[in-house]
Amino acid sequence: MSLSSALEKLATFRTNNTRASQETFKNASIILKSAKQLGDDGWVVLEQLFLASVDIGRLDVADQCLKQLADRFPESPRVDVLTGIRMEATESADVVLQYYAQLLDADSANAAIWKRKISVLRRTGKIEKAVEELSQLLDTFYTDVDGWLELADIYTTCNQYVLALQALSHVLLLAPQNPFYALQFAETAYTANDLPLALKTFLVVVDMCERDLDSPEKKPSSGISVRAWLGVKLCSRRLMVNSSPSASNTPVPKSLNLIEELATERVLGAYSSKGSKAVQGRDVVVGWIGAR
Amino acid sequence: MSQYSVSTQAYLKIFFHAAKHPQSSVNGVLVGKEEPSGTISIMDAIPLLHHWTSLSPMMSIGLDLAGRHAESMGLNLVGYYQACERVNDTALAPVGERVAEKLKDGFKNAVALVIDGEKLGSGEPALIPYISQGPTWRPYTGEPAAFGAGSIFQLSSPDLPRRAISLVREQDLHQKFGDFDDHLEDVTIDWLRNSACMPSDI
Repeated sequence: MSLSSALEKLATFRTNNTRASQETFKNASIILKSAKQLGDDGWVVLEQLFLASVDIGRLDVADQCLKQLADRFPESPRVDVLTGIRMEATESADVVLQYYAQLLDADSANAAIWKRKISVLRRTGKIEKAVEELSQLLDTFYTDVDGWLELADIYTTCNQYVLALQALSHVLLLAPQNPFYALQFAETAYTANDLPLALKTFLVVVDMCERDLDSPEKKPSSGISVRAWLGVKLCSRRLMVNSSPSASNTPVPKSLNLIEELATERVLGAYSSKGSKAVQGRDVVVGWIGAR
Repeated sequence: MSQYSVSTQAYLKIFFHAAKHPQSSVNGVLVGKEEPSGTISIMDAIPLLHHWTSLSPMMSIGLDLAGRHAESMGLNLVGYYQACERVNDTALAPVGERVAEKLKDGFKNAVALVIDGEKLGSGEPALIPYISQGPTWRPYTGEPAAFGAGSIFQLSSPDLPRRAISLVREQDLHQKFGDFDDHLEDVTIDWLRNSACMPSDI
């Protein structure tokens, strides 16, 4: 593999925040020796290789990267974070937390270190403390989408779906253009048993995914809109059988029957095999659609 | 108590699912049947989720679809499996308990298998069986220990864990593996069978 194609691939991973550690490791290893000649790009790659190496357990490579970075950037807060991550791999939680506490004493607004600390707290089962710290962090850095997602995730795993919805509603305010977040909101609302809210948000996801198509009614759904249509079908089917209370007071649409019919059509459309590659599992989906 | 036997196909699929998503929790269901001898044969695994495992709508659709698929082959859903993103966390998650409990209604000897992250790369069987004890599910503590000689839990072949590791490390077969979450983003992914990632002798 050539150096330039490897660099390009790594740049894509960085931009998309892809955690393809194995592949990153493969691509970045050839760069390790020539980092100094690459100029500023090289240091970013070195950081990327460091994170991938920790992820796949190649601590020997991680240590080489960290040493080069620390020599070049002494006292950099960004390198401090990496040092912390390296410690997390082998040191006890107490030692790492102590290290983070020192750094936070020196600079209490170091968000990256604060988030590492919260992740260690969560990982070691100190959930209440993690929630408390994360809430404080979000008070200070309101626009931190990842922070809100983490808070929602913690609440979800503790079955606190209403609180998870509150955290996710901040995510939707901050990143309204991302259908994946709306999808997560819809599925959380369904799990919280607020079916009208779930239905409404699944429809929002469909709208986000399909509104820019020229004539969406003629194209089968693809990507996550299939998932959203399945959600629409699931909610509307249940709402037709029983009206269900909505904690958020979301009204049930009057045209529920039509919505349900449309969802059926869209799901079946996605599973009609017109493309070159065969659609998988059509029979079971048709069975599920037909069941009441 | 019944005996349980885990087939090559089922073990590899569970292993691949965990290997493909080391940073997420994953879960899925086990497909099989009760043999005339009383042994529960776990023949296959159908992977469900990796995005978020504690939300219910896609879980409930995926379970329904997997159940229909198993039925179409004359088999049952005989259990549930999960792996946690934290290596040392081998507790059966609350969602897992609920799903396993639900599967028990359809198959009374249902079992839950939790992947043991510490053993995943060691070549030992990396599964911890959970069995239903009254209202809760607990790790199997009987003697001999699960998957040891003479235990009621057996793998179809003892070199399976080593083979799984080499298929992942040398052939990257786990990258060809897809679950219901993947399928919902691309309906050409064959989450029910996953034949593309199975070695040719299976």
